[in-house]
Amino acid sequence: MSDPLVDIRDLSLWYEKFKALDNISTSFTAGKCVVICGPSGSGKSSLLRCVNRLEDFQEGDVYFEGQSLRECPNIASLRSNIGMVFQHFELYPHMTILDNITLAPRHAKGKSKADAEALALTLLERVDIVDQAHKHPAELSGGQQQRAAIARALALEPKLMLFDEPTSALDPEMIVEVLRAMRDLANDGMTMLVVTHEMGFAREVSDEIVFMDEGKIVERKETNDFFSNPHSKRAQDFLDRILMKI
Amino acid sequence: MDWSVIATHLPFLMKGLWMSVKLATLVVIFAFPLACLIAVGRISSRSWIRYPSAIFVNTMRSNPLILIVFWFFFLVPIIIGRPVGDFASVMIGFIVFFSAYFTEIIRSGIQSVGRNQIQAGLSTGLTYFQTMRMIVLPQALRNMMPALITECVIVFQGTTIAYVVGLREFLNSTFLITEITLRPAELYTFAAIVYFVVCFAGSSLARQMEKRKVRT
Repeated sequence: MSDPLVDIRDLSLWYEKFKALDNISTSFTAGKCVVICGPSGSGKSSLLRCVNRLEDFQEGDVYFEGQSLRECPNIASLRSNIGMVFQHFELYPHMTILDNITLAPRHAKGKSKADAEALALTLLERVDIVDQAHKHPAELSGGQQQRAAIARALALEPKLMLFDEPTSALDPEMIVEVLRAMRDLANDGMTMLVVTHEMGFAREVSDEIVFMDEGKIVERKETNDFFSNPHSKRAQDFLDRILMKI
Repeated sequence: MDWSVIATHLPFLMKGLWMSVKLATLVVIFAFPLACLIAVGRISSRSWIRYPSAIFVNTMRSNPLILIVFWFFFLVPIIIGRPVGDFASVMIGFIVFFSAYFTEIIRSGIQSVGRNQIQAGLSTGLTYFQTMRMIVLPQALRNMMPALITECVIVFQGTTIAYVVGLREFLNSTFLITEITLRPAELYTFAAIVYFVVCFAGSSLARQMEKRKVRT
């Protein structure tokens, strides 16, 4: 078996006195799409944000391609290999979509303006909103904004994509177009960690499910196995509730 | 009513107006950068920077301008051991006082840009400094523009306080002319119109910017 892309060892995170992550050890292999689910407050998003050190964890460490995040001398350069998509898109409202996407390639990765723009247009084509390139974020629908945000993350030509509840802020009819873009990405072999409540997406697209509760990983299984045969009582309860079995 | 007094003494009055404009402009030019520094201190995670900044801002905002001006007028010569002149001491008082107000405007401007915008910038591999410069500050500046212009108008009105140390700004010049001509009604009406024109233009500009802010 090859070395994992992300290796998490004995990771703990506190917010003040509250322990959000409790001694987590796990790893993620390149090329897989893993869905992280669990009740709210279980630590899913916190775990995701530790993978690019947007959260400063207090104990343990995360290794990305073998590089310790704790001892990383240039965290910005490491982050420029990891794309992240946020719940509320977080596009920069004062820039056009094109400028949103080319900002990091130009200023973090040193690409020329022409190269960055060519790449951006290819990516916008891929998420099907190339006609929106010269508009500002506020002129786009929620679904279009989130797809633009995906393009912005992909413009880093990342080795890993992190999705933090990418559809939670969207109207139902817009969720589909975002999930479709994510599915295409997974099918192209992108390594993805996805925090989501979209169990349809999890079942159809992901390779594995990580189920968390109270800052711990309660269960981790291959997708089909998780849905047909959840091991822990808490995972069973969670699935019953989210799939609305009464 | 005899409006000719205004025409007669217009050069003297305009000299006063120029003094007011000069005071207000210099105060803004010096108070703004100072306020930027203090604002960064206000939101610093280090308490030994944050607390002094907060104490400074709250002290200034809990005192009347006239007291601060008096205080510096008498204090500065003691500190540096020689008189510095009316203009300089009034300037220092104004700058220190108004920098506290500008600080609060800048602080809320920066905080109006969500923490998530910073995280988004950082997540793409931009440094903290790049994120601030290219993502946070342009938005913050646009958000705080109306409040900044309004504050500039208040600074302009505040320059009238300079009369307490005998500086011949616009209102004080008007007062001196009324002493000579005994025409207070005409002269003070004229002064009111001038202040109105300048300040109304400023607040209209602020309102215009407010509208633009909402639209984006």
